[in-house]
Amino acid sequence: MEAIATHDLSKIYKGIGKSTVKSLDQLNLTVGEHEVFGFLGRNGAGKTTTIKILCSLLKASTGEAQVFGENVRSRAARRLIGYLPEQPYFYEYLTPKETIDFYGRLQGLDSATRKREWDKLAALLDLGDIADRHIKGFSKGMRQRVGFAVALVGDPPLLILDEPMSGLDPIGRRQIRELMVYLREQKKTLFFSSHVLSDVEQVCDRVGILVKGKLVRTGRIDMLLSAQQTEVEVVATGLEDATCKALAGRAVRSHVLEEHVYFVLDSPETANGLVRDIHKFGGKLVEYTPLKETLEEYFMREQEAVLQSKTGTGTSSQMGAVS
Amino acid sequence: MRILAVAQNTFREAIRDKILYVLLFFAAATIIGSKALGWISIGQDIKIVKDLSLAAMSVFGVLIAIFIGTSLVYKEIDKRTLYTIISQPIHRFEFILGKYLGLMAILAVVVSAMTLVASVYVLLLGGQLDSIFFLAALLVFWKLLLLTAFAILLSSLTSPILGAMIVFSFYIFGHATGIFTDLPPHFDGTSAKWLLEGIYYVIPNLSNFDIRAEAANEVAVSTKYVLWAMAYGTLYTAFLLLLAILAFEEKDV
Repeated sequence: MEAIATHDLSKIYKGIGKSTVKSLDQLNLTVGEHEVFGFLGRNGAGKTTTIKILCSLLKASTGEAQVFGENVRSRAARRLIGYLPEQPYFYEYLTPKETIDFYGRLQGLDSATRKREWDKLAALLDLGDIADRHIKGFSKGMRQRVGFAVALVGDPPLLILDEPMSGLDPIGRRQIRELMVYLREQKKTLFFSSHVLSDVEQVCDRVGILVKGKLVRTGRIDMLLSAQQTEVEVVATGLEDATCKALAGRAVRSHVLEEHVYFVLDSPETANGLVRDIHKFGGKLVEYTPLKETLEEYFMREQEAVLQSKTGTGTSSQMGAVS
Repeated sequence: MRILAVAQNTFREAIRDKILYVLLFFAAATIIGSKALGWISIGQDIKIVKDLSLAAMSVFGVLIAIFIGTSLVYKEIDKRTLYTIISQPIHRFEFILGKYLGLMAILAVVVSAMTLVASVYVLLLGGQLDSIFFLAALLVFWKLLLLTAFAILLSSLTSPILGAMIVFSFYIFGHATGIFTDLPPHFDGTSAKWLLEGIYYVIPNLSNFDIRAEAANEVAVSTKYVLWAMAYGTLYTAFLLLLAILAFEEKDV
C-alpha cells in the first residue's frame, strides 16, 4: 500500500477583494511505504500547502489525498502521521516533558504509555537535560528536537516534515540528518520538504520537484542525475602546445594549468577518442572523470526549463532561492 | 480525555495571563471601595456593597471573558501552536469545547474568588448574607458562560480587537434589549423597525441574569425563575458553541 497518494489535488485561495491564487494544481503523487521522499520547490511552489492538506490543516479545493488508504480528513489518517511544521511552535510555558504528555493525551494514550513515550523520546532526542525547562527560552535547535519528539509521539509510520533543517546551524543540521537516517532504518516513511539540497541528496530515496503548484518531475535521485550525466573531464600532460590547440577543438571547454591540460568533452565516446589521440601524440593521461551533475544543478535546470516553457523569459537569475 | 487535555492547557495558559490579575485587582478594589458610596447613602452601605460587588463581578468577569476569550483560538492560529494540535487525531469540535471548558473553569475561579471577597467584606461590615446573593453571583457566572461562547465564536472568525468590540456591544445591547422594541411612533412601518425588532429577537436578553437589586434588598427570587434563566442561558450558549464549532470545522489554518 502507498504511504501517500494524491489524486488531482488542487488548492485555490480565494480572498474577499483579493485575486484568486492557485497554490496547487492537480497534484498526482505517490510515496511508497518505507520510502524517504524529498519534496523540492521554490518559495510559494506549493510544498507547504501540500503538507498542510496531508495533515488536515487545509481542505483541498478539488481532488483527494490518502495516507495508507485513509482519507486525510479522517482521524484514522491522522493517527498514522507525525507532523513537524516549519519552525514548530509549542506552548511556551510548558516543558518538553509536559509537552510530550499533552500530545500523548491528545492521542488518547494512557498515563503509563505516555511515560514510556517520554523515556523513549528523551533518550532518542537527548531531551533529558532540558526535560523540565520551559520551552520559552529554547534555541531553534532545541525547539526542533522537541518538534521531532512531538511528531514521533505514538510511533506513527509516516512522518511529514516541513523544512526540518531550516534555520539550523551545521551541527543542528547534522543531528537532524542523522535522525532522519535512523528513522529510515526504523522503516518509517519520511516525506519532507527542504531547501538544503545537499541534505536531500544524502537522505532521500526519491524526490519530486514542484514548480508553481505543478509536480514537474519525480524519480530516484541517481536515476534523475545519471540521465543527465554525459560530460567527461580528461586531464592530460606531456602534450605540445600545437597538439593541445588541435585537441581543444573537440572539447566543450578546455584550459591549461601549469603542466596539465583540462578538456571537458560532451560524451564518453568523444572522450575515449581524445584519450587515444593523447597517447598517439606522446602525451600521458592523468585523470578521466565523468562529470556528475549535482541535485542543485539539476533542480535549477528543471526550474528554468519549466519556467521558460511557460513564459519564454525564464533565466537563471530569476530562479532565486530554492526552498 | 482529549477535550480535558485542551481544557487543562487553556486553564494553565489563562492563569498565567497578567490581564487576569490586573482585572481581578480592579474588581477587588471596586468591591472594597464600594463602602465609600455607602457613606454617602446613610444606612444603605451593606446594600450598596452587595449591589456594587455583583456589578463588579459582572463587568470584570465580562472583561476577562472578552480579553481572554476573543484571542483564544485566534492566538493559536497566529502563533501556529494549532498546527501540531489539529494534525493530531482530535476532532475539531473537541478543540473548541476544550478551549471553552478551560475558560469556563477560569471564570468559575474568578467569580468564586470575587464572591468570596464580597462575602467576607459584607460580613466584616456587619451585614448578613442570604442565598439570593449567591444565586445572583451564580447568574452572573451563567451570563459569562454565554458571553464566553460568543467570544470563542468570534475568536475563530476574526481578530481579537474586532471580536472584543463586537462582544462588548453584544453585552451592552444585551442589557438594553428594550430599546429595540420601545421605539418612538415615527418608526412604525419603517424597515428600521423590522431590523431593530429582528435584533431584539436575536440578541439574548442579558437582564434575565440580573437579580442584583433583589440580592441587595434581600428580596426573594423563586427557584423556578433562576432555573428558567439558567436554561435560557444554556440554550443560547449551546447555540453559540454550535456556531463556533461549525465556523472552525472547515477553517483553513
